[in-house]
Amino acid sequence: METLSQKSNISGLIACNGCDLLLEHVEVEPGLALFCPRCGKKLQASKKNSVDKTLALSITALLLYLPAVFMPLMTLDTLGFKESGSIVDGVVRLYDKGYLFVSLLVLLTSLLFPLVKLSLLLVVSLSLKLKRYPDILPLLMRSFHHLDRWGMLEVYLIGILVTLIKMYHLANIHYDLGFFCFVGFLFATLCSSTAMDEHLFWDLIERKGGI
Amino acid sequence: MANTNRHITAMEAGLALCRDCGKLLPINGQHGVKSGFCPRCGARIHLRKPDSMVRTWALIVTAALLAFPANLLPVMRVDYLGVPEESTIMDGIIYFFQEGSYAIGIIILTASILVPLFKIIGISLILLSIHFKWKTWLRHTALMFRVIEFVGRWSMIDIFAISLLQVLVNFGYLTSIEVAPAATYFAAVVLTTMFAAITFDPRLMWDK
Repeated sequence: METLSQKSNISGLIACNGCDLLLEHVEVEPGLALFCPRCGKKLQASKKNSVDKTLALSITALLLYLPAVFMPLMTLDTLGFKESGSIVDGVVRLYDKGYLFVSLLVLLTSLLFPLVKLSLLLVVSLSLKLKRYPDILPLLMRSFHHLDRWGMLEVYLIGILVTLIKMYHLANIHYDLGFFCFVGFLFATLCSSTAMDEHLFWDLIERKGGI
Repeated sequence: MANTNRHITAMEAGLALCRDCGKLLPINGQHGVKSGFCPRCGARIHLRKPDSMVRTWALIVTAALLAFPANLLPVMRVDYLGVPEESTIMDGIIYFFQEGSYAIGIIILTASILVPLFKIIGISLILLSIHFKWKTWLRHTALMFRVIEFVGRWSMIDIFAISLLQVLVNFGYLTSIEVAPAATYFAAVVLTTMFAAITFDPRLMWDK
């Protein structure tokens, strides 16, 4: 057991971040994932063409971002009264009513963090694609890692669903363009996060393209 | 995948794992942990997250206290023909069940009541199990923590729905929906429990 710690080359080892178990690193074939044999945590999932896919999907999602958040999601129509609203309108109304903390949380989790996450993915995957490795790249990767759980678009979609079901027998609901952009945006965002192979990205950054 | 039966941890082998990029670093020596920062990504390196237990306890106790106003105060006010009616989170769920929207009622019941409860009780149990060195259900406890980490964000459903409803349902005297004080407390519960899951270091469960 002493030999493990005295091995001068530890690059062939990995540790589980759920239970600290030391494991020998094995290459993971694309489409397969590596799980910790002791605690069961997923350690690594390998993806085919990870850099290209991440780049393409993050561009797609960014194009849909503005219409998705600023255009009205839907219009309610009851007895001739019409009212439509976007994600941004919701944040502004919360702020107007004096709910600063809640509006800030919604602003960050449904608007800012998804945008920042996508921009980070775009910049990182573009750099890797062009084989350029600016000094700021590791910082961008770390920022993405920490922001990942704070973008809550898929949760917002269920929030929209709840709104719809609450309203459908009280008013006529028209879906607006913003709704379809939002669904597309959400789909592209989820796929871009899934396409990204963090292990591979860090490897490429460390080796700066070399072997 | 050797060594699985012998269960050597990185710490026992004199190695520390960077939480940000997953790089293994020797605790002593060149580029070791003594330098304090990961040579690959620049993150601060710790063998275990600093003050993990104390911080997690503090956040969980805070969340448990905030859960009372979050559930007892009204989260939403509906004005219908000039008659205001305030409703708590539970009232909203009962409304859906009475309307026959069972699926959505169950979704909100799960996201707004069961998930925060599960997180607070679950993390408290995990912390207690570390204090008292209960080691029998480790694999299950580890799974429970991963579930807690995953479901945390889903509690925001109600907040998002209300933020949208108050914009869409705004027909003057006829009917309108407004957000009410429990929203702030509820959002704070989600935030503190999510931070509790972040400050907790699951490796502590496995340490001898």
